[in-house]
Amino acid sequence: MARITNVPGSTFLSGTLLFAVLILFGVPEATWAGDPDDESLTLYAVNYPLKYFAQRIAGGHANLVFPVPADEDPAFWNPDPETIAAFQKADLILLNGAGYARWVDKASLPRSKVLDTSAGFKEQYIKIKGAVTHSHGAEGKHAHEGVAFTTWIDFDLAGRQTRAIWEALSRMRPDLQDELQSNYVVLAKDLKEIDKAIREIVSANPTQPLIGSHPVYDYFARRYGLTMRSVHWEPDEVPSDAQWAELQGILESHLAKWMIWEGRPMQGSVDKLEAAGIKSLVFDPCANVPDQGDFLGIMKQNVENLKKAFP
Amino acid sequence: MIDSIYIAWKYVGFNKVRTATLVACITLISFLPVSLQLLLEESERQLLSRAVVTPLVIGAKGSSLDLVMNTLYFGDEVPELIDMGASDRIWDTGLAVPIPVYVRFQARGQPIVGTSLDYFDFRGLKIREGRMIALLGECVVGKKVAGRLDLKPGDSLVSSPETLFDLAGVYPLKMKVVGVLEKSHTSDDLAVFVDLKTAWVIQGLGHGHEDVTKTKDTTVILKRTDNNVAASAKLFHYAEITEENLGSFHFHGDLSVYPITAVIAVPHDTKSGTILRGRYLSKEEALQIVKPEEVIDGLLQNIFRIKNVLDAVISVVALATILALILVFALSLRLRQREIQTIFKIGCSRMTIARLLTAEIALILLMGGALCIALVFLVDQFSNDLVRALFIR
Repeated sequence: MARITNVPGSTFLSGTLLFAVLILFGVPEATWAGDPDDESLTLYAVNYPLKYFAQRIAGGHANLVFPVPADEDPAFWNPDPETIAAFQKADLILLNGAGYARWVDKASLPRSKVLDTSAGFKEQYIKIKGAVTHSHGAEGKHAHEGVAFTTWIDFDLAGRQTRAIWEALSRMRPDLQDELQSNYVVLAKDLKEIDKAIREIVSANPTQPLIGSHPVYDYFARRYGLTMRSVHWEPDEVPSDAQWAELQGILESHLAKWMIWEGRPMQGSVDKLEAAGIKSLVFDPCANVPDQGDFLGIMKQNVENLKKAFP
Repeated sequence: MIDSIYIAWKYVGFNKVRTATLVACITLISFLPVSLQLLLEESERQLLSRAVVTPLVIGAKGSSLDLVMNTLYFGDEVPELIDMGASDRIWDTGLAVPIPVYVRFQARGQPIVGTSLDYFDFRGLKIREGRMIALLGECVVGKKVAGRLDLKPGDSLVSSPETLFDLAGVYPLKMKVVGVLEKSHTSDDLAVFVDLKTAWVIQGLGHGHEDVTKTKDTTVILKRTDNNVAASAKLFHYAEITEENLGSFHFHGDLSVYPITAVIAVPHDTKSGTILRGRYLSKEEALQIVKPEEVIDGLLQNIFRIKNVLDAVISVVALATILALILVFALSLRLRQREIQTIFKIGCSRMTIARLLTAEIALILLMGGALCIALVFLVDQFSNDLVRALFIR
């Protein structure tokens, strides 16, 4: 405050007052950044697995909000401005990362409240092969590349996403550290058990060719060493002739006996596949809230379903 | 006494040029130091109050004053650009919350500030009308911008091209005004706020266009392979982001190399701030970290040094003017000797003559004083803008 000595009376007075105000109220660097209070935290998640993980870790200390309607795919759902405003007011926004929930790229979210749960393993993202990119402007510039985003059905990666949530919650509520940690340990153990169970099942015949009904099994296939190729079929639609022809093309070099569906397929699709010697099983990634049960229950059911393909 | 004032009034009214000169001298000599003091106090308030609440600013090495003036007051001088990775780097340290700022573009003469939503929390800015920015292409405007440009939620605002003759450059973006901020009596009142990504769309780094992988217009396709479609410059880019075309907007490449002008770092505590500052001290470091309070303090010291010189000059001029005024009055008395004698001879006492002359001087002083007060009032009303024009922009 040496500057004040250079100014005449009134400026000195105002400078002194300003200094006094700063002493009284302090520079806001320590008070800003959303210190948690005693109330429970409000967390917004972009998919159901993240909501489930966070709820398991936080227990009753957080209000988990997952605003995607039950009949929408969270990866391609677009919120209205009011819902984005609700996201903006959350204490923590849980993102899956890897390009999941495309709307995030076009929305304004506060960086300090956003947790990209897969940021810790960005180098392990899977680039989608065969996706058509585009470029314009200067030659070679501006090419797009797609990234697979269903990270959580690699249960090792799911564990790392879970850890990111636990660490963030612990930073926000250090007073609950012990409780959060014990909840996290239990959840991590559950995920490890599923991971171990799948590895054991797959080890019976790891090279068996499989077909994925939807390109959502990239991380799953990589983690468990599956030989899998995907088509783009919907469980609630009987495949068209073009889709059927695409499958026939794949089968020429990839003699799969099982198709893995993300939801219960229509009987027409099952029958048509069985006629071609391909059986169906469901491995639901559970991106949205299930009709019955919870994430862990669905995954356990997935494990049981998977056993059919690996007797 | 009323008679004396009336006669004095008639006298000063008759000698218009002389009266106007004297009033102007008195006005100027009293107005100058008061208005200067007023402006300096306002500049100190504006500059210092914002600087002390902004803990640290990180930007490209170069003029720290340009960096701070651009980041805090949205000054015209754009510092050398840095990339978004600078913000991620601070976030990764866990020592501070980074708030990236990109102040480069303008809309109808007002600076467009691309930043993250954390900026509004940090500055304590609240929405007065409408809502906060939620989607790409939306903006909220400061209270003064809304007044000057007659904007309200639902209106549009078009970004200005950087150079008038850049015909091959990026098309201006028509932004949707979704909110007006409450008055903050800071530079924020004069800014248009957008999300960083919208600022990158204004720059042309993000854009929306029809899906070239599906287009039937073959004239826009330069080359098509199994994995890539290369489009020509004919490809139509949307100049407005709407609900219908929002999905087509995209960014090419890694966002961490996208440009910003600075990062405001808000350390979690004093120790974290000190550690963070230490990380930018090496000579090889391409970035600088500055404490805005120190930079502005240096600027203010220079301003006050200049002010001291001005004070001295004004004091000398004031002394000379007062002496000149005394001389004018003395000479005036000598010139009016015959007139005074006539007044005396028609029966007025010496006291009456003294009252007459005092009333004349008092009237001139009063007029000068009133004019000075009016001018000071005007300066006070516009001091915020004047300071911005004189010291900030």
